[in-house]
Amino acid sequence: MSFQFTPDNKSRLDDLVKKYPNKQAALLPALWMAQRQNGYLSLEVQEHIANELGISPVHVHGVVTFYTMFKQKPVGRFHLQLCRTLSCALCGCEHIVAHLKEKYKLKEGEITPDGRFSLELVECLASCGTGPMMQVNEAYFEGLTIEKVDLLMQKLMKE
Amino acid sequence: MDKVKITIDGQEVEVAKGTNLIEAARAVGINIPHFCYHEGLSPDGNCRMCLVEVEKIPKPVIGCRTGATDGMVVRTNTGAVAKMRRSVMEFLLVNHPLDCPTCDQAGECKLQDYYMQYDRVPVRFKETKVHKNKMVDLGRGVMLDEERCVCCTRCVRFCREIAKKEELYVQQRGNHAMVSAFPGKPLTNHYAGCIADVCPVGAMTSKDFRYKKRVWFLSKTDSICPGCSRGCNITIEHEDKTVYRLKPRKNLDVNKYWMCDFGRYDYVFLNVNRRLKPARQESHSPVDCSYEDASGFLRASLSGLSFSEIAFIASAKESNENITAFADCAKDVFHADDVYYSKNDSLEPEADDILITADKNPNMAHVKKLGLKPVSAISAAVKVVLVQRDLCTADIKHLKDRGITIAALYATSHTIADHLSKTIFPIPTYAEQTGSFTNGDLRVQAFFKAFPPRGEARPVQEYLKDLHSLTVKLKRAG
Repeated sequence: MSFQFTPDNKSRLDDLVKKYPNKQAALLPALWMAQRQNGYLSLEVQEHIANELGISPVHVHGVVTFYTMFKQKPVGRFHLQLCRTLSCALCGCEHIVAHLKEKYKLKEGEITPDGRFSLELVECLASCGTGPMMQVNEAYFEGLTIEKVDLLMQKLMKE
Repeated sequence: MDKVKITIDGQEVEVAKGTNLIEAARAVGINIPHFCYHEGLSPDGNCRMCLVEVEKIPKPVIGCRTGATDGMVVRTNTGAVAKMRRSVMEFLLVNHPLDCPTCDQAGECKLQDYYMQYDRVPVRFKETKVHKNKMVDLGRGVMLDEERCVCCTRCVRFCREIAKKEELYVQQRGNHAMVSAFPGKPLTNHYAGCIADVCPVGAMTSKDFRYKKRVWFLSKTDSICPGCSRGCNITIEHEDKTVYRLKPRKNLDVNKYWMCDFGRYDYVFLNVNRRLKPARQESHSPVDCSYEDASGFLRASLSGLSFSEIAFIASAKESNENITAFADCAKDVFHADDVYYSKNDSLEPEADDILITADKNPNMAHVKKLGLKPVSAISAAVKVVLVQRDLCTADIKHLKDRGITIAALYATSHTIADHLSKTIFPIPTYAEQTGSFTNGDLRVQAFFKAFPPRGEARPVQEYLKDLHSLTVKLKRAG
């Protein structure tokens, strides 16, 4: 089935486009809308948005691959996005990654077999004062330690 | 246009207001290094290699996007500029694979050149480099090595601005960034060959040229593309009588910096399938023979004919000089009232509003100027024809239907007309002679001899000289 915006989203997009001097400017909100609707941005979705906004598919693809917030494939129910950029790296994010991988058998870029978790290393999420940090779905968890991560994971496993 | 005076490294230069500093410096022979800037594309300013110092501007500025203003004092030779260039080079080389020995760009690579000119310090980066895909076939003869890409976006801008199809874009970010096409969507534009030309490094290479020749072995000769009536200015790159590639040559009035793929890859006929020896027809197949043999055969087939029974068919693919010589011989020596022409009547590739024109002949303008007539208008009295270069299928059919024999064919290559010609004489290609074409806008453009003719090929004029003595006999007989 080819991707289409729901009538609701479509009318929201049409309203949005009117606010900008050109259609291209509505690309980021359009991608967010499509990701919320579809769960992730497949190549087909990217092409659809390119057609909607009258820009080239490869341009949309460039934007999608630039931002780690845009998913190109499905993610788990809890999508752990661990920051790997400078501040978090200096604060030792690699220990958190190693712990998640070892104790919870998470693999970078993969979903656990039960579909509950997925792990991704992402670029700066603008929480540099509180590194290491990670974003789970849309919530920030900051100043991470191994203990804090364990507590969080146990909570999430019971959800 | 307002003119302004600026000073670059102590040299005064007058340029149009707003001229970027790279061009202004070029006018006084100062080279400001750059990767992303290309004269034919919009300036981008991402590579930072062209940083220079300008008096009264507190920070260094990029030459490609700084316009000249009156009284500007620019310095490109300071210690600070040298240091900036070294730093930019160091960043660009962090993840660059040192595969120069197997890289096709070696010898014409800006990273190599600038390293030698502005860097020359050992690498400090000891960590593991980011590895990416080494061989991505982007389609239309362009191969991408992602590791070598410096993300200058020249190719992206070329596709968007010149080829008018946005098919490439920078993907990913940081040290994973590279240029790529949309997954599963290869290039489709007809100018993709230029992508390898504009790439300042070895990221985009021509599939056709890859691993065939080290570029420093190639000699370069200025020429004109014979593919259509645009007459794109090109450079023939050759060694040892073999052409390895054609590249566009700058001419702002004709092709700017570009050429189409059809012209670019249409060099094979210069190398292979060439007619190298004269031949004569023997039981329905042409057999190579000596010039004397073929010439005698031609004389025999012409003897006994009157002038009105012999016609000349020139070729719209030949040079001004060759067409004129052919037509002059017909008129002055053979007393022909009309001279005819054959042309490439192909409709492919389709004309566009970039460079490709509908007329696939480099020299129809000269044919028209001389008032030559199409083969379909050939006079009823004609029994035999002498043909320059080759004939299109429609013209061959017309001659066949009329029962006209081809007495001589002056050809560069083996063609379908070979089997119908009593004699065939080898002539040089445009790469093997100096001459000129008149393009569709009536611009006469010279091309130059890259190497001596292959085999026994001789200019058509020389063959015609020999025919002259024959006509004396014809005249006496008639």
